[in-house]
Amino acid sequence: MFINNFKYSIKTLFRNKALIFWTFAFPIILGTFFNMAFSNIEKSEKLDIINIAIVNNDDFNNNVVYKTAFKDLSDKNNKDRIFKTHYTTEDKARKLLEDGKIVGYLKIINDEPKLTFIKNGFNGTIFKYVTEEITETSSMVKNISEEKIKKAIATGNYNIDYESIYDNVMNLIEDNNVRINNISSNNLSYTMIEFYSLIAMVCLYGGMLGVVAINQSLANMSNKGKRISVSPISKGKLILSSVLASYITELIGLALLFIYTIFVLKVDYGSRLGLDIVLALVGSLAGLSLGVAVASVFKSNEKAKIGMIISITMLGCFLSGMMGVQMKYVIDKNIAIINKINPASMITDGFYSLYYYDTLNRFIFDIGSLVIFASLLIGVSYISLRRQKYDSI
Amino acid sequence: MTVFKAFLKILDKNKFIVIMYTVFLISFGGFNMQTSDNNTNFVASKPNIMIVNNDGYKGITKDLIKYIKDNSNIIKLNNNEDTINDGLFYRDVNYVIYIPKNYNNDFINGKNPKIDIKSTGDYKSSYAEMLLSRYIKVANVYQKSINNIDEIITKTNETLKKEIEVEIISKLDTNSLSKATFYYNFASYSILACLIYVICLVLSSFKDIKIQKRIIISSTDYKKINRQLLISNSLFSIVLWLLYVILSFILIKDVMFSYQGMIYLLNSLLFTMCATTIAIFIGNIVYNKDAINGIVNIIALGSSFLCGAFVPMEWLPDGVLKMAHLLPSYYYISSNETLKTLEVFNLDTMGPIIFNLLILIVYSLLFIILTNVVSKRKQKIG
Repeated sequence: MFINNFKYSIKTLFRNKALIFWTFAFPIILGTFFNMAFSNIEKSEKLDIINIAIVNNDDFNNNVVYKTAFKDLSDKNNKDRIFKTHYTTEDKARKLLEDGKIVGYLKIINDEPKLTFIKNGFNGTIFKYVTEEITETSSMVKNISEEKIKKAIATGNYNIDYESIYDNVMNLIEDNNVRINNISSNNLSYTMIEFYSLIAMVCLYGGMLGVVAINQSLANMSNKGKRISVSPISKGKLILSSVLASYITELIGLALLFIYTIFVLKVDYGSRLGLDIVLALVGSLAGLSLGVAVASVFKSNEKAKIGMIISITMLGCFLSGMMGVQMKYVIDKNIAIINKINPASMITDGFYSLYYYDTLNRFIFDIGSLVIFASLLIGVSYISLRRQKYDSI
Repeated sequence: MTVFKAFLKILDKNKFIVIMYTVFLISFGGFNMQTSDNNTNFVASKPNIMIVNNDGYKGITKDLIKYIKDNSNIIKLNNNEDTINDGLFYRDVNYVIYIPKNYNNDFINGKNPKIDIKSTGDYKSSYAEMLLSRYIKVANVYQKSINNIDEIITKTNETLKKEIEVEIISKLDTNSLSKATFYYNFASYSILACLIYVICLVLSSFKDIKIQKRIIISSTDYKKINRQLLISNSLFSIVLWLLYVILSFILIKDVMFSYQGMIYLLNSLLFTMCATTIAIFIGNIVYNKDAINGIVNIIALGSSFLCGAFVPMEWLPDGVLKMAHLLPSYYYISSNETLKTLEVFNLDTMGPIIFNLLILIVYSLLFIILTNVVSKRKQKIG
């Protein structure tokens, strides 16, 4: 009887087109949209070559320091290249600026640089900073050389080799390695959170499958439920087989999404795929238990119950960063307790910790929270489902 | 009137949907608006930097921290690796500097101590790294030629404080205009979703076979019914548009009273019209109420993601933008984007906007024709 009910539950679930759309197709479509919209964001946040212009007047052409510095910084073969420079007249530079073709332009008047921007911004700040650096370096060379010459004079040495002092100072400045050591993780792609919360959404949407499967064996929900309830089968077997059927259905949907995100969208789940699968299994169990609890505790019709699952899922996913990754951080940082009881966040955070962290503490905490969440809801459903009897209905 | 009353009844049943999309618009379109700094002076942009100082607060360490502080927003998080890592991942911090133990002494002794950093790798962190390496470079140079630490610091600061003259030529309140653009871009999602949802539900209720049979045998002319339906739907669209316009006046204020503001209004009105024709078209081909929900989400989310309602157009991949050319939302949003930086109003600068507005009208006409073709085919019922 167990197998019989299991088989028919699976059939009913798969024939419910709207349900299959929301749990199978919709996440894949949404994932595709995410991928289209977000795939470029992080790339465009990298420091790109900045388009600038320099007014090509005599003052600039006679200024060796600026001329060589900008030539160097705009050189295609330089790996530290920052700028793409247009050398042009001031009018043309202004036109380029107004058309948004360049960030700003540099004009040198009597060895004093002057920058013109259309608005404030990071690229402009960098342009200004680099220009200042050039000014500073040239004044530094001057300072130190003067200092050395003064010293030479003070020691009574009037036979000064200016050339060698200058070379000396230039060596000092060029032979200068700044020892900065980057120790950050390579996995810093924050748009991944979008996809993780998408998986969380599918796990929780599994609750809808649970609602539908349980509802059909509840006497107060449908005529089919009445007929099933009067049949001589133990309630436990019925419920268990329905729940198992929806769990299997949910896992199929989840597997499809995993395959799609890994192979088509190239989502990075980190290197521990086995643990990711464990997380998905536990996460969908939590989603299912949410569905079972909603189905058994509330006495409203199926539509209202599904509405409830959708609202809980959407709110949960919103708080765990699906509509804006920063949301999860803001909540985690300020009102941590909310995301500690939010199943969508537990799932998202689990994937995040597998992707970003080397240690497993956080992951284990997330899995533990999900297990507690699921067992609590299963307990509640058990209490409200047992001994349900009707004299008349 | 009967038709209109029925329309209102159905709308009343689904008011939750309208409220929901409006709340989305206010919370996303509204919250994204930071305080306006309408600045015509140059203000340097600052990266978010966190400093973890394992050395004492003295000498070169103290001065380095001061220099970084002056040129960045210092972020203070708990000095706990997990918190710092989270902060980096979610871009709360762009750059973390770990000043090692004995940095000051090692520096004075010419050891050129190594500094550990963590970086998000974006342009803000690149700038942060420029700040740090610039300071170290200058200090290193002076360290090699001067023995006194105080003098090294004074010289370093003297060198680093050079400021050059900067002029900002735009008199535009670009900040408020970006807000308006963001709001109206997001509104395209709310408008499209609300209109398709409500209008499709209304039409499908009227297309229910039992109801339609009753309507056909009633004494009211079917043309009159169709006309009234069209008027009610358009009325709903206009009211929704007005609601969003009023909200924009409350949220964005001043800019909405400028010329740009007027074009935002015109653009959104034409888009609302276009969205209404799309909704009526879909309502005429889909009668299944369950399906409507899915279709709304795919069309509204799809065109919003592809055309840059959520993620700014400049960040979308080229392939996606090419595809977006097929969708009306693209033309609406690209006008909004143009408005953001539009300073001079003449035929030359307005050209692309006028073109986009015309395209919206063409799309509306196209959907009206398609609706007529489809509904003619579906006139016969069993």
